Amino acid sequence: MKKICLVVVCLLSTLPLVAQVHLSAQTDKTDLALDDELTLTVQVSGVSGNIVMPQLPSLPAFNVYSREMAQSTVNGHTTLSFRYLMIPRFVGRTTIGPVTFSYGGKTYQTDPIDIRIYKSATVAASQSKSSNRPATRQTTAAAADISQLPPLEKELSTRAYAHENEPYFMISAISNKKPYPGQPFTLGVRFYYAPAFYEAAYHNPQVSNLFMEEGPSVQGRQNINGTMYNYEEKRYELSGVSAGKASIGAAMVDYRTASAGNSLFDRFFGGAVVSKPVTVASKPITLNILPLPAGKPASFYGAVGTDYTLTTRLDKPRTEAGEAVTLTVTVQGPGSLKTTSDLKFPEIPGLTSYPAAPETGFVSNNSSRGYKTFKTVLVPASSGQYMIEGINWSYLDPNTSTYKTLSARPLTLEVFPATHAAKQLDFGTSSPVGNGIQTIRQDIEYVKGTYDTDLSLLQRIAAWKWMHALVFTWLAVCLFMACIGKKTAAKKHAYQYAKTQLKQARTYEHISDALADYLRLKWNISAASLPLKGMITALAQHGVPPETQQTFATLWTELESARFAPLSKDTNTLAQLSARAENLLKQWENSK
Amino acid sequence: MKKRNWYGLLSILFLTVSLGAQAGQTAEDLYRHGQYAQALSAYEKQIKDYPNNPFLYYNIGNCYFKMGSTGLAVANYYRAFQLNPRDTDIRHNLELALAASGESLVPAGMPVSLHKAVFGLSLTELQGLLHLVLWAFCLLAGLWLLTRKAGKITLVAGVLLLAVAGWFFVRYSWQSEPLAVVATPQAELRSGPGENFPASATITQGHLVQIVDQKGPWQQVVLRSEGIKGWMENSSLEHI
Repeated sequence: MKKICLVVVCLLSTLPLVAQVHLSAQTDKTDLALDDELTLTVQVSGVSGNIVMPQLPSLPAFNVYSREMAQSTVNGHTTLSFRYLMIPRFVGRTTIGPVTFSYGGKTYQTDPIDIRIYKSATVAASQSKSSNRPATRQTTAAAADISQLPPLEKELSTRAYAHENEPYFMISAISNKKPYPGQPFTLGVRFYYAPAFYEAAYHNPQVSNLFMEEGPSVQGRQNINGTMYNYEEKRYELSGVSAGKASIGAAMVDYRTASAGNSLFDRFFGGAVVSKPVTVASKPITLNILPLPAGKPASFYGAVGTDYTLTTRLDKPRTEAGEAVTLTVTVQGPGSLKTTSDLKFPEIPGLTSYPAAPETGFVSNNSSRGYKTFKTVLVPASSGQYMIEGINWSYLDPNTSTYKTLSARPLTLEVFPATHAAKQLDFGTSSPVGNGIQTIRQDIEYVKGTYDTDLSLLQRIAAWKWMHALVFTWLAVCLFMACIGKKTAAKKHAYQYAKTQLKQARTYEHISDALADYLRLKWNISAASLPLKGMITALAQHGVPPETQQTFATLWTELESARFAPLSKDTNTLAQLSARAENLLKQWENSK
Repeated sequence: MKKRNWYGLLSILFLTVSLGAQAGQTAEDLYRHGQYAQALSAYEKQIKDYPNNPFLYYNIGNCYFKMGSTGLAVANYYRAFQLNPRDTDIRHNLELALAASGESLVPAGMPVSLHKAVFGLSLTELQGLLHLVLWAFCLLAGLWLLTRKAGKITLVAGVLLLAVAGWFFVRYSWQSEPLAVVATPQAELRSGPGENFPASATITQGHLVQIVDQKGPWQQVVLRSEGIKGWMENSSLEHI
């Protein structure tokens, strides 16, 4: 290393004095992880002759493990670059102090550089992107300038004067102490420090009856009665949940301090002594959320503030029936719009709506202005022209405590007849039918030009309900007649039936059966169950004359004896008995 | 005075018939020129006057089909088919619309000829046939009771009556089944009656479902082609 330095000195001694001395220092990054490395580049231009190396400040948070030098001359202008590769030692926020360079009896120095060291590389990368801040401090607020600051910054800067003798302190302030529910306002928390700190852990404030979202961080410097303080400011976007009391708890920082080592070795390699953790906190804040005024419109979804905008957009102005189009409604307004409820899309006849979950966020490059995007898929059922209108967004203007309504401009959607239905039915390959005819596509049959339907005979018959009554009456009458007329008919036909039997009689038994059937059909007298005496009594009861009763008794006795003693009788006797029986029946019939 | 009244009545009748014919012509013209939405509107106006006209349902189905709403087309073709199952155009279009949704009019395993035979008559016609056979049977039975004659023909009429009654019962069971068609381009079938229940399937329009139960705006359905059971929102369905 010493040899390199000597060579550098020899080389530099030959350089002529050509220009004004300029010194600058910059790092390759301002946010890095603990296992990352940092490159500090110090550039000196406008020097010649014997020079000494730039003097690094105390770097207790880093170990410097490599030093390099390069020289370039363009158009006679020589620039020396010194590169220092450093490894961080602690997690937290630190400052690379001014780099000094002595030349020609004068001392030059660079601006200090703020560095944040994180535990993990992921956080470092995300913070590096989100903070998007330059390596050097941006703002310097002097007491004289406070009156020209925005209200919240003015409030914070004014409050800082109450802590003029404290090396580390925290303050907080809000931009609106009496907001409406849903009205966005800002909370600013500042951590002031005069000396550097290490391993600072920040704790967000706890809130009640408030919706809170972290906002950006800013850094600054403020001269408080002659002492230059650095501060880290954290901002939050808040909105009240409901009317009533709300509170914001204390924000806290646990920090450690360190002092540089005394020895030259330690100073060169960045040795330091670190203190125990110390906590500073801001004061809690209580505020009152005002109730919403009466007369809320139907299109009020909880938005409070001013400068809202409402835009609507269709992803395509023309489509086919059955094809989906996306309707996007975007609302922009102050603060985050997360707490507002979802927009209700108006019902449009002929369009079926399928709303999607809304998206919220902040407008790029403007963390105080949020947006909420509502999307819905619209599917037209039929062709034609559709007007999409009636999309409104109402908000409460806190300045006038009145509701105002924004109406989106109507959109026109032109829908053509669907062509995909036919495609669905295209069966792909043409299929040969025969005789050179090929089916290309099947389609529905054409509409009916006339639709006068004549009722068929069966349809007319179905309407003839009265016929049921007629038919069932007929059936009932027939059934009744059949039951009643059965006995009459039997009586009527008893003589003919018996006469036929007698003509066909071949045995005495046949003649007995003919007589018995006549008695049963005519007078319901059972010859099988009654003795002769009983039958005579029954005949007498039916008014049969006594002489024929005697004739029947004689005939029946002869028939019985002929049946059971057939040898005593011949064929002539059978005929005689049959004739006598027929004669008897004739007498009975005539006696009526 | 009476003559004048008759002339007045005849004029009104003539005007009504002429206007009706003109409206029908206009709807067909609109359809022919591809203005399906306007044609649909015209046909829907007419269906209010003729609520049981199968050809109007058929024409409405055609308009929906041409506009890409297969679900609504199937629903209207089905209504037309129930009213006039013998019409070949109605059957053709219904089969085509169902095929576009992966459905089939003829149940799996059933011969097409048998299906055509079962649906040879509309339910009203079948009811008329049942009445006719019933009346014939009653007349013959009465005659037989009185005369004890024509017993064989009465028996044949009894058997015919049982057959027609069975046919009617089968058709009535099918037709009285609460059916619906998926009318939205895509509907979700959920495991319960609410959006908090996970969707088990997504069903495209035109699928036939059988309604089993109802809980508020949710219907428990059985997908006829697949036999899957689940819950769908009423707004996704078109009841037949």
